[in-house]
Amino acid sequence: MEVKPTGQSKAGDWKNFQRVLLPPVKDLHKLEVYEAEGGYQTFRDALSTAKWTPPAVTEEVQQSVLRGRGGAGFPCGLKWTFMPPVDENVPRFLCCNADESEPGTFKDRQLMEYNPHLVFEGILLACYAMSIKTAYIYVRGEFADWITHMEAELEKVYAKGYVGQNILGSEFSTEIVIHKGAGAYICGEESSLMDSLEGKRAYPRVKPPFPAQKGIWGYPTTINNVETLACVPLILRYGGEWFSQIGAERHPGPVLYGISGHVNRPGVYEYPTGMLITDLIEQVAGGMRNGKKLKAVVPGGSSTPILTAAMIDGVTMDAETLRDAGSMMGTGGMLIMDEDTDIVAWLRRVTHFYHHESCGQCTPCREGTGWLENIVSRIEEGEGNIRDLDLLVDLCSQMEGRTVCALADAAAWPVRYTIERFREEFEARCRPSLVPGAEVMETVE
Amino acid sequence: MAKITIDKTIFEFEGDQPSLLQFCLDREIELPHFCYHPAMSAPANCRQCLVEIGNPERDRETGQIMVDEEGNEVIRFFPKLMTSCSENISDGLVVRTQRSSDLVRRAQKDNLEFLLINHPLDCPICDQAGHCPLQNQAYKYGPEGSRFEFRKVSKPKHIRLGPRVVLDAERCINCTRCTRFTSEISKSHQLTIVERSVKNYPMTPPGIEFDEPYSMNVIDICPVGALTSEDFRFKARVWEMSSTPSITTTNAKGSNCYYWVKDNRVLKITPRTNMNVNEFWLADDDRLDYERFNDDRPPGPTVDGEASSWEDGYARAAHILGNVDGNRIAFLGSAHASVEDNYLLARLAEQLGTAAPMYIEHVEVGSGDDWLRTDDRAPNASGCARLGFTVADADLFGPRLKGGEIDVLYVLEDDPVSTGLCTSDDLQGVSVILHHYNESNQTLPLATVSLPAATVVETVGTFVNIDGHAQRVRPAKAIRGVNRTLAMEIGRSRADQHGTPFDRWYNEENLINCQPGWVSVPGVANALGLDMPTTNPKAIMAELASTNSAFEGATYSAMGEYGIRLSEIGETV
Repeated sequence: MEVKPTGQSKAGDWKNFQRVLLPPVKDLHKLEVYEAEGGYQTFRDALSTAKWTPPAVTEEVQQSVLRGRGGAGFPCGLKWTFMPPVDENVPRFLCCNADESEPGTFKDRQLMEYNPHLVFEGILLACYAMSIKTAYIYVRGEFADWITHMEAELEKVYAKGYVGQNILGSEFSTEIVIHKGAGAYICGEESSLMDSLEGKRAYPRVKPPFPAQKGIWGYPTTINNVETLACVPLILRYGGEWFSQIGAERHPGPVLYGISGHVNRPGVYEYPTGMLITDLIEQVAGGMRNGKKLKAVVPGGSSTPILTAAMIDGVTMDAETLRDAGSMMGTGGMLIMDEDTDIVAWLRRVTHFYHHESCGQCTPCREGTGWLENIVSRIEEGEGNIRDLDLLVDLCSQMEGRTVCALADAAAWPVRYTIERFREEFEARCRPSLVPGAEVMETVE
Repeated sequence: MAKITIDKTIFEFEGDQPSLLQFCLDREIELPHFCYHPAMSAPANCRQCLVEIGNPERDRETGQIMVDEEGNEVIRFFPKLMTSCSENISDGLVVRTQRSSDLVRRAQKDNLEFLLINHPLDCPICDQAGHCPLQNQAYKYGPEGSRFEFRKVSKPKHIRLGPRVVLDAERCINCTRCTRFTSEISKSHQLTIVERSVKNYPMTPPGIEFDEPYSMNVIDICPVGALTSEDFRFKARVWEMSSTPSITTTNAKGSNCYYWVKDNRVLKITPRTNMNVNEFWLADDDRLDYERFNDDRPPGPTVDGEASSWEDGYARAAHILGNVDGNRIAFLGSAHASVEDNYLLARLAEQLGTAAPMYIEHVEVGSGDDWLRTDDRAPNASGCARLGFTVADADLFGPRLKGGEIDVLYVLEDDPVSTGLCTSDDLQGVSVILHHYNESNQTLPLATVSLPAATVVETVGTFVNIDGHAQRVRPAKAIRGVNRTLAMEIGRSRADQHGTPFDRWYNEENLINCQPGWVSVPGVANALGLDMPTTNPKAIMAELASTNSAFEGATYSAMGEYGIRLSEIGETV
């Protein structure tokens, strides 16, 4: 059945949108092709034009209203301004967070494969804007092929003189180091990423101090997502004004939607922000598979609260709208589920993931994630008890906001909102003697 | 002055302050916590010390603190609860702890519920039970039951991390105190956390043994029974022992410790915090140095190798000393004995017209480090030096004995043969009077009179460490016979304040027939008819503190539990 859009898209004439992050150019990952398409020209301009002083670059990024694409949606230009003033004796670092591992999210991988030079150029511009001499790209360890692929391209960039000492004869020098992650979801959390990069066990750090104050090796550090940095050359090439006009007003720009699940054409699609979810399902991803009815959408990676089919009417993909609709933009990795989906099984799989990936540092997350999985598994097996549902919600409250990093929240939200929005399905799976209507035992205080 | 409000009580402060948690603990406001340790970084990972924190709300334009209709400051609380261990103190801060906030009480209870779901709760067989922060705080702040209805996680048990430390990973609550100890304090980096999620536990890196000389400190700082002592585990419950504050004597650092005694036997030694000496820590060899207090002890005094009474021992010693010219006697003081005992020996020597005692140096070059272990393996060389004793030189001493210059050798609590000061041959024809601790003393077979001496755990006395820190020792266990000073001191030294024969550390069978030097040295002197009152060590130190500038101010009350730093002495040593 077709899902009928009722709200207003904020993506404008999205059908004629010209892709910029992943433009349809053959072999764009090759340096010569990228250059022929005008690549690295923005960076050359930034180095050679008097107009593009480092503060001017930051200013332009602030103008563009670019918000981080890693999940939290923090304004990128503002983040850059948190770096302390340059002190020649104090090293400072940029880190490109390519530890993409949230279930349902697979967009950075595409950028690294098809347009790595856009990422490199973004890193160079960010380094230039913040006077940073060392940039790390922390790539998820499982992305071994993409690491090899990017290392080969980075060699060419070095050979061409875009990276290194006195780049293109200017005063500006910077190095890019590709670092292979040691393989854990938690490494995507920026402070544990820094620990991992330093060769330590990846445990999130207590904040404050924030990375801009005390980051890698204790020095000022800025950490940006791959897609965020890839937007930077575009902003400088076409102007912050241009960028801010694309898509939703308060969350603008082109964005990569990673659509997976029960649709006919799953994949990564580049469109403006503010697309109607219904448009993305029906028009972009080719509609529901086998003509089934839509049941639920998880809009931004597995940790963002699930939306029922009824809740997505007129909802667009931008932070504010999704917040009002009861979810989050996250990474834009959308999971589409049809009417045949076993929502309890889905939740069990999600709780298993967070249980497996909790780093084990903080008590509520270490113990809570496992307990959540235990209970949800029991419900899935038909051994659950109606009071388990209240216990689950209670445990979520005991975890949320009580840990060093946000993993506990990420683990608790799917449980809380899936139960809240699909409670009947959970109740139907609980033990027959305690189905709705039967006496409900009180939870232990 | 800056102020901070905790549960409606206002505290004023000035200058740099520690974390909020430490600030509260310093003011006897209890906040439950596990991972926080004052000597180490605060990772805020146990999440137990949650509190509500707020700041006075300021008018955005004027910067003035806003007040409500009743004139009270408007406080804006953080939406989340904060861990007090990672929170800095600032002027105007308002804190609500579990004493005034239901939210905090609930959060702490929630957290303890989480901590306990995978904890084995095997307290009945756990060494930590009885002094376990998890047990205590779970009773005080935790939930009454558990809602957890699943199998607990299985993790490795009785893993030997190194020669002295055993791990039970199931009991571990991952506070990371042990790994932080090895990375921040001892810097051996021999422990790390392995695995993820609820499966994680501390472990050594592959191929590495946890064998650093300070490894056993992790046992004390472990807030549960996950890390236990290979040596002590399953020997005694904590409530079956008495603990006495004292110092260790394996080297010249004088690290502060507790001696744990059951049935009149010392079973373990743990550190006692003294920020001027050992801070929170104790070296492993200090901890394992207790068997010589229990075993290998002499049955009583001997005369010519035959068992004798104390009176006969004193009489024979007096007879030997009284029938020889004073300058043909050599007195050896001891760097193992207390200042008081050495002082009385010096008085005896003086009254007999003999030169001041010398002492044997116990230096083993390379055995120390720059932390809590010194090359000097005796506790009181500084005390001897401050009494004006000189080091006995083997190159001079042996030939003097051999050359027949000395007829009587009087040894206080030491062993000239095993230390190489002289050989058994050198002592042929010399009358030896020996105060000794152990049967294995190699001078003992040559002794004409042997007088068993009370060890550091059985006496009252003063020791001066390598840095000139004078500290008292207290009797942790009783000796055979009645000594009013010791009995009173036992009662005063221990938390339970009893010290009667009905006490748990008291066992007739394990009482050692020995005497403190401040009893036996005057015993010999009195048998000689010399004037040396069998006085108590407190009076001796009071006398020394007022008459000898090297011990100025070192009275018992001034030394108290933590000792005092004596003034530097010149190059008179």
